[in-house]
Amino acid sequence: MIWIDGQLVSPGKELVHGERTLQGFRLWDPRRSKLSALYHLGQGIDLEPQHRVLYLGAANGTTVSHVADYVEVVYAVESAPRPFQDLLVVAEGRDNIIPIMADARKPYLYRPLVEEVDLIYQDVAQRDQAAILLSNTGFLNSGGATILMLKARSVDVRRTLSEIAAETETLLKAGGLSIEKTISLSPYYPDHAALIGLLP
Amino acid sequence: MQSYWFGDLDGTSCQPAPDDLAVLVKRVRDLGDAREAPLPEWDLAVMCGFVNNRAGYLECLRRTAISYSREMLLVAMSTDTSGLLPMVRMVDQIDEAVNLLTERATEWYIAIHPGFHRKSTRVRGTALIDLLRKDAVGPLLSVLEEIDRLTDQRRMLTREIAGCADKVLPNSSALVGGLVAARLAAEAGGIRELAMMPASSLQVLGSRKALFAHLATGSPPPKHGVVFQHGKVHGSRKERRGRVARVLSGKLVIAVRIDYYRKELDPGFIRNATEAIRKAGSAQ
Repeated sequence: MIWIDGQLVSPGKELVHGERTLQGFRLWDPRRSKLSALYHLGQGIDLEPQHRVLYLGAANGTTVSHVADYVEVVYAVESAPRPFQDLLVVAEGRDNIIPIMADARKPYLYRPLVEEVDLIYQDVAQRDQAAILLSNTGFLNSGGATILMLKARSVDVRRTLSEIAAETETLLKAGGLSIEKTISLSPYYPDHAALIGLLP
Repeated sequence: MQSYWFGDLDGTSCQPAPDDLAVLVKRVRDLGDAREAPLPEWDLAVMCGFVNNRAGYLECLRRTAISYSREMLLVAMSTDTSGLLPMVRMVDQIDEAVNLLTERATEWYIAIHPGFHRKSTRVRGTALIDLLRKDAVGPLLSVLEEIDRLTDQRRMLTREIAGCADKVLPNSSALVGGLVAARLAAEAGGIRELAMMPASSLQVLGSRKALFAHLATGSPPPKHGVVFQHGKVHGSRKERRGRVARVLSGKLVIAVRIDYYRKELDPGFIRNATEAIRKAGSAQ
């Protein structure tokens, strides 16, 4: 990962609407991207140039574009029409984002397109977040990693983040992943946690 | 034989797919529908003679995925409610703006005419703007006229929404009026979403704050959200509103399902439903 004066940046040429740059690098804002927040907290999995990434919940494609600056190829899955239109624009400006309009709950729809990947990054903010990740682990090579951005408020408004995180960990372990670490994303994102897993 | 988006593999021989986006997209769709596609491997595509190298593979894959996604995007957009939702959101935004501007303009008017006091008049909303306009001049007058124009705009929009809702939501519009029906659809995120909803969820649509306060702190649950705007709900006695809202939502959710699946008006159903709602509002 590339840091300049304590700020995370990514080495992209194509800019996404009016963002700031630092010495020719794109600034990767931890307040706008949970993945950047995770790196700012000193955690996360370093992105490597040879990495192939499956990104679930690509939204407008901002974080996707930063990931794409670091890795070989990003398969970006998003199901909502409005953000997907933005994602398409971002993908058209780069040659290593494969945009796929599909529901991450139905991986069989994009199985024909997505090859084996080294990392699955999931940020879908749905109640069944853990199940969605598990239904996608078929894309992961052995030794591959997963990063799940857990939004506690999407799972249950009544329980605390740590309760929900513990429950999600149990679900993921039962699904065959080993959980390396669970990191709370406060102060950048209250009520969010990142669960980092490995496929043994 | 094993099929991939880029070709069909049979043992060691391979038949590459034609380099035609329409064909490739169709292959992706068919493979997806079959539900058991193997994960593609780029070196197979090279072996197949479909592309020359990894870069060529990714380039072609990217074009295919974009094309496939554009198709899916069109499907998703066409099931949308013909622009109903953005119009509803626009009306809500105009309401908010008009309220804020009216408040500010009244303050301004009071500063110029210290004798005028808001509490001394019972006039509200558009009538208040009309009243202020009588002896306002200069910039204040032009602001008031602007507010007036916004109000006109809102009126036109609601008429448009009601007309549109009568078409796409005939039964629910007959029960609660086009605007409320459209609001519910906007709140639920679409007609399909609304049709899938249990009546108890529909009943509290639009009362997000009260609902989550209830779940989090155990305060009394909300009785109604958007459905409160229905005359029978806010017009009935307070102790009966909960019952009316419940009956109304029960009937309404059926109406939305008729709208979504049968797509035509069912006068018999409307008659019975209206009667049930009327009964719920009257003392037993």
